[in-house]
Amino acid sequence: MNILVRVRLAVLERTIASGQVPTAGEIAAELDMPIAMVQEAFAKLGEAHVFVCDRDDPSRLRMASPFSSVATAFKVSARGGSYYGNCVWDALGIVSLLGGEGLVDTSCPDCSEPLRLRVKGGELAESDSVVHFSVPARSWWDDIVFT
Amino acid sequence: MLLFRSEEHLERSGKPKGAFMTPEQMWRLADTWYHDRDDPAWRRRSPDEAEEVFAEIGLNGDFWRLT
Repeated sequence: MNILVRVRLAVLERTIASGQVPTAGEIAAELDMPIAMVQEAFAKLGEAHVFVCDRDDPSRLRMASPFSSVATAFKVSARGGSYYGNCVWDALGIVSLLGGEGLVDTSCPDCSEPLRLRVKGGELAESDSVVHFSVPARSWWDDIVFT
Repeated sequence: MLLFRSEEHLERSGKPKGAFMTPEQMWRLADTWYHDRDDPAWRRRSPDEAEEVFAEIGLNGDFWRLT
């Protein structure tokens, strides 16, 4: 298994287990690898649009997609853990990755009413809500944090 | 990508015109996109492959073009 795959999987496994996106130092210790090598892997995974690196700190990730390293408006409860998704797409992606059973809690940007999406047995419970995309697909990566 | 209570709330919010989909479409897209992300053999989809996924769940038109 190459280094990028090992780092990618270690980041996801650790995030799933702890609810926190790990730092390069934590991954380096887990994989018994120099921190510089993990930071290089973070940078390459960022360039490949697999993860999103922190703008100011090469030892941190902003997004270990579908997970967010910071609190967002998309809270996920699944497999006994709590997580934050980067958007509603990623929040439901976390539920999928964790077995297709879980909740996404957010609120309407217009009226602040709490909204919940529930997935059970791989099926989404009916909802009258609507998902809005403001940025066209080809421009998503121009500013992925905004998207 | 935000979740609104209804189309009426989306219109009222004054958000720039973009595209919208049902939560069911969003779930199908998220499930297809992320279910195997922890598979060692996972690889990022090409733009053509991503457009195929969009089309399969009814997302067509220029807004969803990557190529």
